[in-house]
Amino acid sequence: MSSRMNLPLLATSAVGSYPKPAYLLEARRKALRQQISKQELTALEQRATREWVQIQEDIGLDLLVDGEQYRGDMVAYFADEMEGFAIAGLVRSYGNRYYPKPVVVGPVGRRHPVTVEWFKFAQSLTKRPVKGMLTGPYTIAEWSFNEHYPTRRELVLELARAVGEEARDLEKAGARYIQIDEPAIHTRPDEDFELALEAMEIVTDGLSAYTVSHICYGDVPRIYPRVLKLAVDQLDLALKNEHFALLETFKQARFTKDIGVGVVDAHSHRVESVEEVAEGIRKTLQVIPAEQIMVSPDCGLKTRAIDETVGKLRAMVDGAKVVRNELTGTREPTRA
Amino acid sequence: MITTVIGNYPKIPDLPAPGKWRSTVERFQKGQIDETQLQHVEDEVTAEVINEQVQMGIDVITDGQIRWEDAQTHFARRLSGFSINGLQRYFDTNIYFREPVAEHAVAWTGPITVSEFTFAREHSSKPVKPVVTGPFTLAALSRNVHYPTLKEFAIALGRALNRELKALEAAGAEVIQIDEPAICQRKQDFDIFAEASRVLTDGVKAKKILCTYFGDIGGLYPQILDLPFDVIGLDFVAGYRNWDVVAAAPFTRELQAGVLDARNTRVESVDELVRAVRRLTAFVSPGRLMISPSAGLEFLPRSVARRKLAALVEGTKVANQDLKGART
Repeated sequence: MSSRMNLPLLATSAVGSYPKPAYLLEARRKALRQQISKQELTALEQRATREWVQIQEDIGLDLLVDGEQYRGDMVAYFADEMEGFAIAGLVRSYGNRYYPKPVVVGPVGRRHPVTVEWFKFAQSLTKRPVKGMLTGPYTIAEWSFNEHYPTRRELVLELARAVGEEARDLEKAGARYIQIDEPAIHTRPDEDFELALEAMEIVTDGLSAYTVSHICYGDVPRIYPRVLKLAVDQLDLALKNEHFALLETFKQARFTKDIGVGVVDAHSHRVESVEEVAEGIRKTLQVIPAEQIMVSPDCGLKTRAIDETVGKLRAMVDGAKVVRNELTGTREPTRA
Repeated sequence: MITTVIGNYPKIPDLPAPGKWRSTVERFQKGQIDETQLQHVEDEVTAEVINEQVQMGIDVITDGQIRWEDAQTHFARRLSGFSINGLQRYFDTNIYFREPVAEHAVAWTGPITVSEFTFAREHSSKPVKPVVTGPFTLAALSRNVHYPTLKEFAIALGRALNRELKALEAAGAEVIQIDEPAICQRKQDFDIFAEASRVLTDGVKAKKILCTYFGDIGGLYPQILDLPFDVIGLDFVAGYRNWDVVAAAPFTRELQAGVLDARNTRVESVDELVRAVRRLTAFVSPGRLMISPSAGLEFLPRSVARRKLAALVEGTKVANQDLKGART
């Protein structure tokens, strides 16, 4: 277990992805048709990363993310960079959202560090801490087709070793906060949950960084309180989407980890008000002590428009500030 | 022995072909085009996937459910009594649906799938099978804040969807498939499922297929055969235990056998299919057997779905020859 370092009470962060600006979307389309070079694309990805780091600083987030401007999909990105994968094609996620689903065609493993250079780049742009962002082994396995390994278990554990190496490389590069997303962890809550726990033990083994796992959109009550055994310091969860109904679940057994409370809906166009965010945090405080709470959006914001994203982040930061002031009795200025 | 599919089909082609449906929905959501224009593209894509199934040689097709956002809200939005909530995972897949919420008494207010069925029939030279999400599954995947019990909710949905089945029948549907994947997960509620099924099918003369997938019917067999369905659809991939389950008692209905894995890209060989069919014909005669993928094909990229259909048709053809050979 690691401490939250010197982050403030009700510190704010984000889940990972931000929308890509129009110039980057256009460049990605061109890169796909080989109309621009890899270097040109990278330069624009860096520009977009710089912009998002600046936006987060301006809004006042405490723990930043790099915004994943260089990633398409959270699983395909790792699959593309690792051994053993091919991309099968586009598969629907919901509505008209599609993702390129990888297929495991051989033994999986790392060729080289995947995210370290981007982490270093983002961290070089700001004095605030930036989170290292990884996709967890169970989710990579679950969101890929498997034509190679006889069992899911073999695939998941092999991936856990690879993701663990990546986490240790991030730490060596200076990451003090590392997030390992497992949004698929409750896919087979009876059959596979122990496997997902075992895999995370392998990933975070020996790390001294503060670790977070983001879990969303599934039957969280079904895996609670078992999920408190996941080998990370913080669980980051989507509460807003379900109108904070999960708090009822958390009343049944004490929430023993830190929580990242999702206070803005990542899949609605409506921008929440500051008061709405503050109210969500106050509700959470009735169940979980402030010292264990960090504040974040429900999920990555990449499917939102840029102005919606900025609006939601601003409401989140200002809402957290309102409640922090109530708790500490101080008066920091908040935007009207 | 004939071939069929379970229902949904990939809505967009593989890259780099443009995803017409996808970009049209995007434009519709942004208010750049109206609903008529969206429907026009949905019609085009539906005709395209119907043609694809017919060309591949599938004997009984569906319209691919191109117009369905998902199997729950497609009905919940068109029945009265529901509002629509946030995203939920669809069973153990990585597809998400918006959760229907029963806020008031649910009721059928008009045909939901009839125009889809008539459109598909006009565009297909092969028989078309309309699909309706069953009352039990719709209840199980919705949030119920109105009815005191799941049983009352499921039966009310059975009554509402009974009118949909009758409307399909009136439009000329000779076969109707009712999808009930949730019963594989919630076997303890079999009595509720049975009662809702009886209400659903009351007075419906069309041939009715009860389609289950994502699991097995262990514990529900053979009593599931007593329900008012002519055909039972089973998933022999995710529900591989079904191989043992059906051995426990004579299979007295027709069987729609999901033997190709609709959720993995590995394409089955002709040999695998022939072996599967031999196992199936040990307990169901070929004339009472339809061969299908284990679930809808929308879990796969379009090109892989097409290869699965090709494998299905070729494997069934060879299996038919194999059976003839065995008899002579």
